[in-house]
Amino acid sequence: QGDAISLDIKNQKLSKVLEDIEQHSDYNFVYKLNDINTDRPISLQVNKQKIERVLKMLFDDSDVNYRIIDTQVFLKRKSSIISEPLTNTTENKNFQTLIKGFIKDESGTPLPGITVMEKGTANGTSTDFDGNYEITVPENAVLVFSGVGFKTQEVPVNSKTSIDIQMMNDVEELESVVVTALGIKKEERALTYAVSEVDGESFTQAKEVNLADALSGKIAGVSVSNLSTGAGGSSRVTIRGNTSLSGDNQPLYVINGMPMDNTTLGGSASTSGGGFNIDHGDGTGGINPDDIETISVLKGATAAALYGSRASNGAIIITTKKGTLNSGIGIEFNSSFTIDSPMDLTDWQYEYGMGNGGEKPINQSEAVTWGRRNWGAPIDGSTFIAFDGLEHPYTAKKDNIKNFYNTGSTFINTIALSGGGETTSYRFSVSDTDNKGVIPNNTFNRRIFSLNMSSKIGEKLDLEGLAQFNTSKAYNKASAGDATGNPNWVNMLANTVDVRWLDPGYDEQGNEIQWNETPYASNPYFVVNRFQNKEDKERYLGQFALTYHLLENLSVKGSVSKDFTDFSFTAILPTGTQYTNNAAGEYHGFDVTVSELNSMLTANYNADLTDNINLGAVAGGNIRKYENKQTSYDGTQFIIPFFYSFTNLETSTAIPNTRRLTTNSLFASLDLSYKNFLYLNATAREDWFSTLTASDGSDSDNNIFYPSVGAGLIFTEVLNLPQWFSYGKLRGSWAQVGGGLPDPYTLNESYTMIPSSGQPLQQVTQVSGQRLLANSNLRPYTSTTFELGLETKMFQNRLGLDVAVYKKTTTDDIVNAQIPVTTGYEYTYFNVGKVENKGIELLLSGKPIKNENFVWEASYNMAYNKNEVIQLAEGINTISVANSVGNWAEIHHEVGEPFGIIKGYSILRDENGEIVFDTSSGLPMKSELKKIGNSVAPWSMGFNNTFRYKNLSLNILVDGKFGNDIFSVLNVYATRFGLSKRTLEGRVDGLSLSGVDMQGNPYSNYIPSTDIRNYYQNSKNYSDQFIYDGSFVKLRQVILSYNIPVEKIKLFKVQAASLSFVARNLLTLYSKTDNFDPESSYTNSNAQGFESFSQPRTRSYGLNLKFNF
Amino acid sequence: CDEGFDEVNTNPDASTSIEAEYMFTKAMYDALNNSTGTVYEFSAGGFVQHFATYLEVPGLGDKYVYTSGAYPYAYFNGAYVDGVNEISKVLNAVEDDPDEVNKYAIALIWQAYIFHRITDLYGMIPYSEATTAYASSNFAPVYDTQQTIYLSMLSNLESAISSFDASKESFNEGDLLYAGDTSKWEKFANSLMLRLAMRLTKVDPTTAQQWAQKAIAGGVIEDETDDAIIDYVGGQVINSNPISFQLRNNNYSASNQGTSNTEGGKYSDTFIGYLKDSDDPRLNSIAAVWVDGVQVTDTDLQQGMPNGLNNRPDNFASLSEPNLSTILSLSSSLMVIGSSEMNLLLAEASIRGWESGDAKSYYDKAIHSSMNTMGRLYGTEASISEEAIEQYIATKPFPTGFDAQMEHIHTQFWVSVFPDEIEVYSNWRRTNYPVLTPVNVTGNLTGGTIPRRLTYPPGEISVNSENYNQAISAQGVDNFTTRIWWDVAE
Repeated sequence: QGDAISLDIKNQKLSKVLEDIEQHSDYNFVYKLNDINTDRPISLQVNKQKIERVLKMLFDDSDVNYRIIDTQVFLKRKSSIISEPLTNTTENKNFQTLIKGFIKDESGTPLPGITVMEKGTANGTSTDFDGNYEITVPENAVLVFSGVGFKTQEVPVNSKTSIDIQMMNDVEELESVVVTALGIKKEERALTYAVSEVDGESFTQAKEVNLADALSGKIAGVSVSNLSTGAGGSSRVTIRGNTSLSGDNQPLYVINGMPMDNTTLGGSASTSGGGFNIDHGDGTGGINPDDIETISVLKGATAAALYGSRASNGAIIITTKKGTLNSGIGIEFNSSFTIDSPMDLTDWQYEYGMGNGGEKPINQSEAVTWGRRNWGAPIDGSTFIAFDGLEHPYTAKKDNIKNFYNTGSTFINTIALSGGGETTSYRFSVSDTDNKGVIPNNTFNRRIFSLNMSSKIGEKLDLEGLAQFNTSKAYNKASAGDATGNPNWVNMLANTVDVRWLDPGYDEQGNEIQWNETPYASNPYFVVNRFQNKEDKERYLGQFALTYHLLENLSVKGSVSKDFTDFSFTAILPTGTQYTNNAAGEYHGFDVTVSELNSMLTANYNADLTDNINLGAVAGGNIRKYENKQTSYDGTQFIIPFFYSFTNLETSTAIPNTRRLTTNSLFASLDLSYKNFLYLNATAREDWFSTLTASDGSDSDNNIFYPSVGAGLIFTEVLNLPQWFSYGKLRGSWAQVGGGLPDPYTLNESYTMIPSSGQPLQQVTQVSGQRLLANSNLRPYTSTTFELGLETKMFQNRLGLDVAVYKKTTTDDIVNAQIPVTTGYEYTYFNVGKVENKGIELLLSGKPIKNENFVWEASYNMAYNKNEVIQLAEGINTISVANSVGNWAEIHHEVGEPFGIIKGYSILRDENGEIVFDTSSGLPMKSELKKIGNSVAPWSMGFNNTFRYKNLSLNILVDGKFGNDIFSVLNVYATRFGLSKRTLEGRVDGLSLSGVDMQGNPYSNYIPSTDIRNYYQNSKNYSDQFIYDGSFVKLRQVILSYNIPVEKIKLFKVQAASLSFVARNLLTLYSKTDNFDPESSYTNSNAQGFESFSQPRTRSYGLNLKFNF
Repeated sequence: CDEGFDEVNTNPDASTSIEAEYMFTKAMYDALNNSTGTVYEFSAGGFVQHFATYLEVPGLGDKYVYTSGAYPYAYFNGAYVDGVNEISKVLNAVEDDPDEVNKYAIALIWQAYIFHRITDLYGMIPYSEATTAYASSNFAPVYDTQQTIYLSMLSNLESAISSFDASKESFNEGDLLYAGDTSKWEKFANSLMLRLAMRLTKVDPTTAQQWAQKAIAGGVIEDETDDAIIDYVGGQVINSNPISFQLRNNNYSASNQGTSNTEGGKYSDTFIGYLKDSDDPRLNSIAAVWVDGVQVTDTDLQQGMPNGLNNRPDNFASLSEPNLSTILSLSSSLMVIGSSEMNLLLAEASIRGWESGDAKSYYDKAIHSSMNTMGRLYGTEASISEEAIEQYIATKPFPTGFDAQMEHIHTQFWVSVFPDEIEVYSNWRRTNYPVLTPVNVTGNLTGGTIPRRLTYPPGEISVNSENYNQAISAQGVDNFTTRIWWDVAE
């Protein structure tokens, strides 16, 4: 790309021409929708012309004025007088004088296209390409200089023959268009709610394999949990906090106006699972960043009202790139290669080595039993016997992480072809992602093929289609959570053992070599070398839309989209896995197909009711059908060793599970604008949910109606404010969104036959392996948002401020609550939750420095969200959402507390603060279960800077979150095993403990140094000792780009090229966690707040190369 | 706009009605397959020193330490969501139909069987309000005192017995014990009544005597032909002997060959030592050591592992473990309540003067019955010849004096009722026999005494807290040393 423009256009609408220029150059057009006749037919042929030239050809004979500021081109309709034929008036024939002049902007740049009029007449001209004009007027005339984006000036001639003018910016004109719900483009000024748009370009250089992760830090109020589950993993994005106690709380993703499925295949990873507790990835992982034109984030419920319940957490609207009519073939090529290096954040004690009771192991049996214990002798460089039975030096081994993990790499290539003929345009892209993980033998490969076509059939019919085919394969993703089959347990190797001694992890028979007392803590090399897991995904996304223009301002659009994924997963716990039955292995897998079909019909009407009032209306209906068909295959003990087939198992089961749901909707939306400063918006929708329909046909409360209203006032148009205050808007909205139940079949209890080799067996149907109690009294929930916003632009657009405050209350929330097992069930849905989110979002943007060669653009966003759970079920004060390995900590929703608090235990103290001891064990008692932290960060911020100097640009993104806590399972184990520095106390002289016994009598206990393991082992009971402040500030992204001056390269007709150094997750600038990264989440479920042996965070850096032909 | 939604919202893979018999079969399996590893082997089985492990994590039973895992509460969690809930579904499904009185009575008996094992391990538990969430939306079941539970179970057994009507239908093959034979179920109910009655000898001897006499008068399982045995066909996990399955899963397998037992388990030295010292032929039925890749049962090679070890003993590989082809066969059978146990309880009733029969005869019959069922339960390889039985009985004269007789009866109970570890553990707590020497390792939670109960699950603490707190304030601290109602200290 660049500033040279080539066009070959015959009889196309102006709008297409503008789109074409936008796609093939750095320029973007900004205009008011009703101001410019974009349907005007254009024929134009230019070859590598400057924009100024092209604009002149396009608009010189039209009623449109234009102005270029940086890469933005502002268009405005000339006042009507200009378009009239120029006629000299006879009265002023005398004393005519020729005036010449030069017109420039504030920075001294010549301004073409500025209108120069003799006041009170139709006599006028405009400046030429170099900003010069000539006009003949009477010597007492007054000249009026005007141009789009500038303040109009009047200058008396007073017999002068030369008048040079510097035009002053009038920034209120600067307006852009954003994409809102249902793909409707609206002027930003017309919005009555918060929308943030991110240009697709900003995702294409420093790439994340999962697109959603790239949103991190970019938008106020959008929180991205960067999961450390490697390539092909899922993402968790929340907008303005968590609204529902049981919903996934993630926004709805919409591609080109149609919702897509973002299911985490096979369900989210659990917080305490083992073996193959893998993040299988979600829908956003299947989008090619290079295909994206823009991403709009609709934060509030108003914005989402038209998409219904699933958008109650906000919506992320993705618009993909399209081809242009009557253009040649354009080729884009984008290649990036990054290396991902694992970070070792451990800081263990290296004073005492492997061993027990102050002794180092003297034989293999001891070495295995003490494989994870660091209660040995001082590390003195002598020798010891390790688990392998060999003698090794008793020295600190500090590079185990470095030695075990690989440096990963990610190679992403995209090539796209686009173009169009007279009636049809297309864009086709192929993208290949090849990732080698930091876990040995972990790979991820993905190909995305995407075709976007649009066509005009005759005068009144438009056809659009999108077809996307993805295929991805992942091998050997790492498990997280518990120890079994989790290679990341390599972190718990004793500090005098070199990890490479464990390699390859198995003996001659192929059996796992045990390196510690329990086979449940797997040999990490055995896991990476012998465990197998494989994911195979094929996804087809198809969309077709037909628009019929009934009248000039009335059209009907029908669209159908289907998102279909076929996914299979197999996990092999191989022959020789010590913790499996008979060490004969296990087989686990599932095949799942997920399909989402949306059929939508809308009617669009747009008209000027009067000169000042414009009306836009949309009405329509949507049918959503979702189906998830899964068959799970599980079995144990491979009969023929090392032959890993489902047919080769001692016991096996194959269990089908089908989930279907339908939501039907009717909706309408109305937009009214008065002049160009007052905007009103109203929407209404009714949804019917199959999941809330009783299966016995009885009457159930399965539908909900919800409205929204909003208003926006451009107060700078009606108030007389100082000149520097160029633009200001106040907006307010009130909106409701109704929601259904995500799971089908939970209203009525049902019974399932289970596989039996004897008598028939029936049990209560389980939902996703849970004993879920049916509740037939459920009805839809409602989320109500009230929002106020203020947008201002000041100092000639150099400073912008956008502030929003909101209050969002969810009532009748459908809560998936853990209930006591003594009820016979583990979970149920209640219809009683009430959750409130209140928050403020701030965006400060500006250009602190701007001159001819150097520009510094900066934007800072910050958000604070206060969440409170106001009500749960009658008589229920707290519900448990998840628990850590060992149940040491739990995630709860509790009345009066924010969503997702961390509960655990501390050392019990009496009213005087004395530690209360259990005299049976001689150790402190633990308190009752209580709150020890908050899992969700209320504060977040992002600071984005771009520096441009000639052809160089540097982008730096810093982001951070504050105020959450993390319970670290790694540190529990590191303390139990004596790796942690905190375990150094008492190694020499033992520990003297004192306090009171359960009766309150003084109590003391001495723990000799040989027994201190027992003391630290027990500290797992006091979970508050392993809670860390999760706040952080990270240098998220650095991009240094060089725009290769292609004009000088005559080869290959290159139109634009850039080479960039890119880096992601470079540095942690602030963090308070020990031995782990504050972003160590391993599941995208609501259960955030635990760290539990996920794979290490990586620092990625590499090169990105882009070419346009 | 919601046409056809009722069909969309119907699970195509599930039925809408309960088949009482199929649900009952599941409830029978689930009552017995619950936590056979975590509780049988690693808690109760360790407390009574049948099993040992040198590892720490599974070491609750072996050395009274608890590091992590569900060892103290897996049984509690598993019982309610499976067996308890299923049996209440069966009861609800048949209670209103006068033609189903026999099914109702059998289910009521089985419900008592399920509940008594939970309360024996934990003390106070939700009973009257348990699993009423579906029927009456009770999401926080109250904990009943053990006394209430015992009296209720006893009276339910009594009413079940009296409601049997031979002219009405009963369960068929889905009844894994007796295929619906109501006369056998009467004996089973009386046997369970006797078991429950005898449990109360410490806390309330009068009530104990009253119910014991009622049970004996009604007729308990005295002969092997009436033994309540479940046969397992193998195949699916649920159709396999759950004790065999779990112990294989945890420790004992042909691939481990006694050397790399996953949870570091072996038979306890206390158990093997006793069987060996008393020349008990049952030793050869249940125990084996690995020699050159095969399990051998020679008496002189058998040796157990001492409880309370923190490190793997050097001779670990050669220590005794359950015989994979007998007691750990996946298709071996499981004794639910047998004539051996009943005869031992009758012997006790006799020496207490609650029963006129001859204590010595009951005692001998119990031994005879126990040895005779070895083959029935574990296959011919485990069977014991009549001659060997006679020979053993000859060396076990029944002593005089109440205490000595109690010791003999209940030491025999400890051997005969093995591997029903929950029952053996309850019986040991009631009688203190056999006399076991507790271990005292660093970091144990009981001050070096054998635990008296298991602790409640975290889920009850976090989501049934009010009732949980009421229970512990009535019963005592939720730890391993608090005694449950019938286990009064002497």
